[in-house]
Amino acid sequence: MRYRLDVNGEMREADVPASTTLLDVLREDFGLTGSHLGCGHGACGACYVLVDSEPAASCTMSVEEAEGRHIVTVEGLAPAGSLHPVQQAFVDGDAMQCGACTTGMVISTVSLLMKNPHPAEGEILDAMSPHLCRCGAYGRVVKAVQSVRGVAL
Amino acid sequence: MSRVANSGWGRPKTPEQVEERIVVGQDGTVWARSGKVEYGQDIRAGFARIVAREMELPVARVQVELGETDRVPWDMGTYGSMSTATDGASLRAAAAYAMALLKERASVRFSVPVPDLAVQDGRIAASDGRSVCYEQLVESGPLEGTVPSGAALEFASGAIDGGSFRVEAADIVTGRTRFPHDVRVPGMLRGHVQHPPVAGMHLDSFDSQTPYAQEGVVQVVHQGDFIGVLARRREQAVSAAQALDPHWSAAPSNPAEPLDVTLHDDPDISQELAAAAEHLTSTYHVPHIAHASILPSAAVADVRPDGADLYVATQRPFGLRDEAAAIVGLRPEQVHVHPQHMSGMYGGGGWDQAALDAVRLSHAGQCPVLVEWTRAEEFALSAHRPVLDAQIAAGLSEDGQIVAWQYHCRTNPHIYGTAAVPPQAVAMTSGRNAIPPYALAHAEILLHVEPGDIRTSAFRSLAAAPNVFVIESFMDELAAMSGQDPIAFRLRHTDDPRLKTVLELVRERSGWNRSPREAGHGMGVACAVYHGTYIAEVARVFVAADGTPHLEQVYAAVDAGRLVHPDGARNQIEGGVQQAASWTLLEETRVEAGRVVTTNWKTYPIATFPDAPEGIDVAFVASDKPSTGIGEPGSVPVAAAVANAVFAASGARVRQLPLRPAFIQKARAQA
Ligand code: FES
Ligand code: FES
Repeated sequence: MRYRLDVNGEMREADVPASTTLLDVLREDFGLTGSHLGCGHGACGACYVLVDSEPAASCTMSVEEAEGRHIVTVEGLAPAGSLHPVQQAFVDGDAMQCGACTTGMVISTVSLLMKNPHPAEGEILDAMSPHLCRCGAYGRVVKAVQSVRGVAL
Repeated sequence: MSRVANSGWGRPKTPEQVEERIVVGQDGTVWARSGKVEYGQDIRAGFARIVAREMELPVARVQVELGETDRVPWDMGTYGSMSTATDGASLRAAAAYAMALLKERASVRFSVPVPDLAVQDGRIAASDGRSVCYEQLVESGPLEGTVPSGAALEFASGAIDGGSFRVEAADIVTGRTRFPHDVRVPGMLRGHVQHPPVAGMHLDSFDSQTPYAQEGVVQVVHQGDFIGVLARRREQAVSAAQALDPHWSAAPSNPAEPLDVTLHDDPDISQELAAAAEHLTSTYHVPHIAHASILPSAAVADVRPDGADLYVATQRPFGLRDEAAAIVGLRPEQVHVHPQHMSGMYGGGGWDQAALDAVRLSHAGQCPVLVEWTRAEEFALSAHRPVLDAQIAAGLSEDGQIVAWQYHCRTNPHIYGTAAVPPQAVAMTSGRNAIPPYALAHAEILLHVEPGDIRTSAFRSLAAAPNVFVIESFMDELAAMSGQDPIAFRLRHTDDPRLKTVLELVRERSGWNRSPREAGHGMGVACAVYHGTYIAEVARVFVAADGTPHLEQVYAAVDAGRLVHPDGARNQIEGGVQQAASWTLLEETRVEAGRVVTTNWKTYPIATFPDAPEGIDVAFVASDKPSTGIGEPGSVPVAAAVANAVFAASGARVRQLPLRPAFIQKARAQA
């Protein structure tokens, strides 16, 4: 089946079975490997992308569902060679260790701050709660998110 | 003990050649080479700083190459928080020697004695203003020679300047970082293997035809007990592997070969215990836990008749190289291991099973192959942390001094491999930190190691975290029994000034004596000396009426010698604390009939954002002593500090991990 997807502001085509997940299309067909396959059942947050500005697990969304939606992956947050303010905040706060979880967290942070530029700590924890970090960078991530509060995105 | 070993165990350390370590490039870049690998501990930045300091260069001029087997010196693997301590020291020596060689060349060029030369920012200058940059000094030929022993070298002194961030950070946040999962090689297929649910089972039968009916399937590979598939897409490979529908013979009954190691002997221990004024005996249990890397194992192998390239995340590039070469009949130097970015493995990255899957499938299919395990396979098939069961007893004198100490623990192997392991190696791994850091007049410490019901392996700090949970919980029990303050009780049992310093520092930082007692709240302390790093931690918890523990704050005081990369060190300690808090409060691998049954994030929950403590306060002791590891120590005292805080908060002494609300309620009822 042929699907046309709006990814990072570009229309792209994939010829895949209907059951294919959005994540597999991004990673396998479009070479966008910044979204990671951590669990495949919506339980870890490693594969999060923006779907119509909302954070969503791309590992449980089918390519069919994704058609006609506006998809943004971590690669599409800022032009090549530059960093989105949220990405910059994660770098500045060294809010990562191995980085396997980081791109998904960046996505959720961007969405949170677009809707709510001044989230309280509880709201940050809520927004980030789908994301697991085995390296234990939670404290630094919260600080990184707080450091971009109020920055126009 | 069963066949557990590490190939290369105890390989003698030969003097190194500077050209294997430090290369000055034509553009002035200094290449520093190490067989260690990066897996989140940020050693790349640490190594860059060490070399930059010795060679008086901006950090950005140093490029660190890690684990590329064709280009770096042989290395046994990245384990035990030893990268900075051992390889950092080797790099430092090589860099210091390289600097000495450069100065000699400059001295000849200017006819000026070495002591009269000044060095700054990659240039060597004579007092008359003539100067030369390093790259000009290697135009006549690269730096070569045997690095003399440390005593014969002159090292740069003073702190290592900060300022540089994690080298990979910008790639990580933009998704450019390549984990093995992200490697794409022309002509690559996707592979998936069906592993037996219990290691050593034989393949009885399988369906070799149905997979071919599925879309995208290219080949079914069958060699002895090995079966797998090659397909065009990842999801096709996973589904075709399921269609293989293998039947396995019953698990072989492996005769257990236990090993007993005496870590500390005391023929008088029974008498001394009996003669003490007060006694206490307790038993403790620590379950299996999973490494639970966020990304399941993955690897790319490209095996050709005359060579092979492996794109992998491994903690032991050379061990994997040799193993892969043996499987496909190549010489080790024909196999090129290219370490990719690694999803944190915390000591579990030496198993390399996905890499060996890829090697076999690529060899059979004669094409590059990417293998990605599923989340369930990662939980079910990878090795887990050993179980620890301990019986511990002590006798106190009338004035509350420990006069006798007896510790008997049973655990499983922490190292794996193919050859037998000498008992010292077992003592260093399964017995790690079983000997308390206290002055004890009489002590008997015995270790019994036997194969686990599932495969076990190293996990961050090896046996230290489980042993320290038992020892430091028991120290708390002894302090409580004799009515002594837990920190004062520890201080009176050590003469080591560095241990005293971290205990006093954490007492100060945590407000140990100052905070008023509120109902349900409590603080607990624990400490350890881990591979030369001194660490004391205080946990503050709240225990709810229903027994649910909430970790509110952790304070850590650390003496790791001279800090190479202070913010990186802080990040490692914080991460170690957070991860160990998760082990302590939530984690347990459950096993039924030899099979892991906790195979997803629902049945194996780990700490999430809302579970994280409000703060992790890390204080370092300023020191000019040699650098020691920081990757593991942060995790070591956490379980005891939290369990002791639960006791302080609720009166519940829980001697079993994780600290489940049900255990806390039960212990509370008994209190
Ligand atoms: S991979 Fe999608 S949530 Fe885990
Ligand atoms: S940084 Fe390693 S999993 Fe989050």
